[in-house]
Amino acid sequence: MLDWLKNINKEYPEFWKSYLAKFDKKSTRFVVISTETSGLNPAKDVILSIGSFAVIDNSIIIADNFEAVILQYKFFHDNGLSTEFLVETKMQKLGEPDAVKAFIEYIGNSVLVGHHIDFDVDMINEALEKLDCGRLKNEALDVDVMHRKLTDANDKQFSLDELCKIYNIPKSDRNSASEDAYKTALLFLKLKSRLGIK
Amino acid sequence: MNTIAEHIADFLKEYSPFNHLTFEELSEIATSIRVVNLEKHKTLFQINDILHDSFYVVASGVINLSVIADAEETLLNKCNEGDIFGLRPFFAKNNYMMTAKAREESIVYAIPIATFRPFVANNSDVLNFLLESFAVNTRNPKDKENLIGKLISDNVFYSDQQSEMQYFQSLTYNNSPLITAKNAIVQDVAQLMTETLKNNIVICENNIPLGIITDTDMRSKIATGRYPITISVDKIMSSPVITVVENVSLAEAQLLMLKHNVTHLCVTQDGTDKSTLKGMITEHDLIAAQASNPGVLIKEIKRSQSSKELKQIRERLTDLIQTSISKNIPLSHVFNIASEINLALIKRSVELSILDLGSPPARFAWLSIGSQGRKEQLLLTDQDSILIFEDVAADKYKEVKDYFLKLGKRTTSTLEKIGYDLCPNGHMGSNMIWCKSLTDWIKQYDSWMNTPGENSNDLSSIFFDYEITFGEQRIEDAIGNVIFKNAKNNTLFFDFLGNDALRKNSPLSFFKKFNVEEEGLNKDKFDIKTRALMPLIDGARLFALSYGIKGINNTHQRFRQMAIADPKHGEIYLNCAEAFLVLSKFRTLEGLKNDNSGQFINLDEMSKIDKEKLKNALAPMKELEELIKSKFQLTQFS
Repeated sequence: MLDWLKNINKEYPEFWKSYLAKFDKKSTRFVVISTETSGLNPAKDVILSIGSFAVIDNSIIIADNFEAVILQYKFFHDNGLSTEFLVETKMQKLGEPDAVKAFIEYIGNSVLVGHHIDFDVDMINEALEKLDCGRLKNEALDVDVMHRKLTDANDKQFSLDELCKIYNIPKSDRNSASEDAYKTALLFLKLKSRLGIK
Repeated sequence: MNTIAEHIADFLKEYSPFNHLTFEELSEIATSIRVVNLEKHKTLFQINDILHDSFYVVASGVINLSVIADAEETLLNKCNEGDIFGLRPFFAKNNYMMTAKAREESIVYAIPIATFRPFVANNSDVLNFLLESFAVNTRNPKDKENLIGKLISDNVFYSDQQSEMQYFQSLTYNNSPLITAKNAIVQDVAQLMTETLKNNIVICENNIPLGIITDTDMRSKIATGRYPITISVDKIMSSPVITVVENVSLAEAQLLMLKHNVTHLCVTQDGTDKSTLKGMITEHDLIAAQASNPGVLIKEIKRSQSSKELKQIRERLTDLIQTSISKNIPLSHVFNIASEINLALIKRSVELSILDLGSPPARFAWLSIGSQGRKEQLLLTDQDSILIFEDVAADKYKEVKDYFLKLGKRTTSTLEKIGYDLCPNGHMGSNMIWCKSLTDWIKQYDSWMNTPGENSNDLSSIFFDYEITFGEQRIEDAIGNVIFKNAKNNTLFFDFLGNDALRKNSPLSFFKKFNVEEEGLNKDKFDIKTRALMPLIDGARLFALSYGIKGINNTHQRFRQMAIADPKHGEIYLNCAEAFLVLSKFRTLEGLKNDNSGQFINLDEMSKIDKEKLKNALAPMKELEELIKSKFQLTQFS
C-alpha cells in the first residue's frame, strides 16, 4: 500500500534522469516509431526490433534515425525458437538494456508517432520497468486515430496496409520495423498536412 | 546501417545522374536526404524565393515547373518520377527563377547541395549532366530527342522573347551532305539525289568543296537540253560555293543567302572554300528553325525516313495545337490542320512500310476509321484503320493477304512508335479480320447493314467514319456506294444505330448536376467522351447516313450539312454543331494539360464560368435525342 512511498526514494538510472530532464522544454521534433514484437501480450512478449525516423518541419530526416535488432537470446531459448533471424540480420544488434537506453536517448522529449502506438508504448514501458525506470512521458500520436478523425469514421480500425492503400503510399515487398516506420512517417506527413497540425 | 537509406539509393540508381555513382556513394547521399510530402497544388518554391540548400528528385507524383509572365502562368515542364529539378543553387546565387508546384500529391527527396557537391566535383559525367539540365530548354522537342533521360531546365526563355532569341540560335543542318567527284556523270548523280530525297550535291576534291549542283542546275542546264545527261558534273556545277563557318546563326545564314542570291550554304571547317566540308545549310533548314507551321511539318513528314523523326514532328504538332488554341483560332480550323498532318503522318508510315517490304502485289486502300476518319483527332488517341485490297485470283489470294498483313503490322507498329496507341479492340489493318479483299469487305458491310444485331459483337459504328489515307481512291468509292445503297430505306439498320446512339448515359442528372464517375481511377471526374461527345458523333453519323450525305465525315460539318438538308430542324442541328466544338475544346484543353486523351474532365479545377459553358453545351443533346426517337421510331432493339 505504501509502494509509492518507496518509489519516491528510488534511484533511477542516469540515462533516465537525463531523459526526464529534457521535458522542461516542448519539442518540435516528431519521432515515428515502429516495433516488431514476438506477440501481442506486453507482459509476456518482447521487442525484437525497433525502427524509427525523425520528422522535422514537414520532412522526414533520413539521417536522424534509430534502428536496432534486440538480441533476445533468452526469450528465444525459453520458447524454443530459432535464433537464425538474429544471426542473419545486418542491422545494428544490441542487448535489450543497451537498446532501450539508446532508444530513450534518441527520442528525448519528441512527440512519438506510430500506427497503434499505444501498444508500442506499452511494450517499451514493459522493457523500461525491467531497468527500474518509470513510464514514457512523451506525447503520442496514432496515425490510425488521425485518419479516423479526418474521415469521421469511428466504427473500425485500419491496418497499416489499408492506410497505405488509401493514401497511395507505394507498397514495398520488404518487411521490417524500419520499413513500417518509414511508411508510417509518410502517412504521418500526409495526415498532418490534411489535419493542419503544425 | 540504415535500411531506408539503402532503399532510396536503390531508387536513385535508376536515374541520371545518379547512375554514374556507386551504390556506396548513393547510400551516403541517401542518408542525408530529407523526404518531403507535397499536397496537391502546394508550392515548393516560387519565383524570387531565396535559394534552398538542396535540390530535388521526384519520388512519386508530378511537379509542375512554371514561370509567370504578364500575369500569365506558363508551364515549362512537368517532372515525373526520377526527374531532378531546382538545380539553380548549384550554379547561381540569385533567387529562383521559376515556380515548382505539386500537380498532384507528391513525395520529393531533398538532397542537400553540400552533400552532393563533392560528387559533382569528382565525377565529370555528373557535372555534365547537371550543366546540361540547367542550360537546356527542354520545350524544344529536337533537343529532347538528343539527350538521354529527361532534363529539367532552370533557365527560362519567356515565350515572347523566344522569337528574337531564335534569330541568334545556331542552326541545325545536315552534316553529312551528298558528295561526289568532279568526273561523275550527271545521270548517276541525279539518280543518287532522287534516291536520297536531296535537292543538292556537293562536288568535292579531297573533301574540299569545288562546286554544287542543285535542282535548279538540273532544270536550267540539263532539262533544257543545253547539256546531255552523260556529261560530267564539273561542266554544269555552280562554282565557287558560298561557304560559312560552323555554328552560324539563323540571322547570319539568312543574310548570306539573300546577299549572294543562293539557296544553299556550304559549311566548312574555317569558313572558306579551301577547307574541309562539314555540312550543308538549305533554305529548308532556315524555315524549319523558325516555326512549327503546318506547311513545314507536312513537308518534313514527307522527307522523314524513320519513326523517330515522325515522332518529333508529332510532338511539334502538339505544340502547334496548343498555341493555336491559346490564340483562339477557330477549332474547326485547327481540326482541319491537325487532321491533314495526322493524315500525312499515317501516309508516310504506310510509305515507309512499302519501302521496306517492296511494292504491293495488288492495288489497295488504307482507310483511317474512327476519329481520324472524321478528321477530329487533335490529341494522341488510339489508331483505328482498315485495309482493303482489290480482288485477286484465288491461287494468289493467300500470298497477297500475307503481304498486306505484314504491311499492316509494320505500319501500325510505326504509328505506335510515333505515339498513337494500338486500338484496344484490334480495329486495325494489321488484324486478320480487318485486312481483306474488296469483295469480302462488301459482304461484311452488307451483313452489318442488312442483319444488324445478329453479328453485332464486331459491329462498331466507327466503321462508318472512314477516310482514305493511302492507295486507290476507287476502292473507297466502292465501299461508299455499298453503304449508301444499303442504307436506303433500311429501317432495321437505322433502328440499330439509333438505339446504339441513345444507349449512352445522360451527362446531367435530373437536378442539372454533372453525372460524374462513381468509382475507379477517375472517380468524381466527368467522362466528356462517352457522355457528351459520343452521343453527338453518333447522332451526326446516323443522320448523315439516313440523308445520304456523302463525303463529309466531320461531325461539325455533318451537322451543318444536315441543317441544309432538313431546314425544319435546322436550329437543332446548328446548336449541336456549335456544342460539339465547345465540348471538343474542353476535351482538348484537358488532354493537353494532362498529356492524355482528355477523356475525363476534372470538374474541381474548372472555373464557375467554364462549368456553365460546359453545361450549356450539353443542352442541345436532349433535343437531338428527341429528334432521333421521333424520326427513326425506334422499336425493334429498344
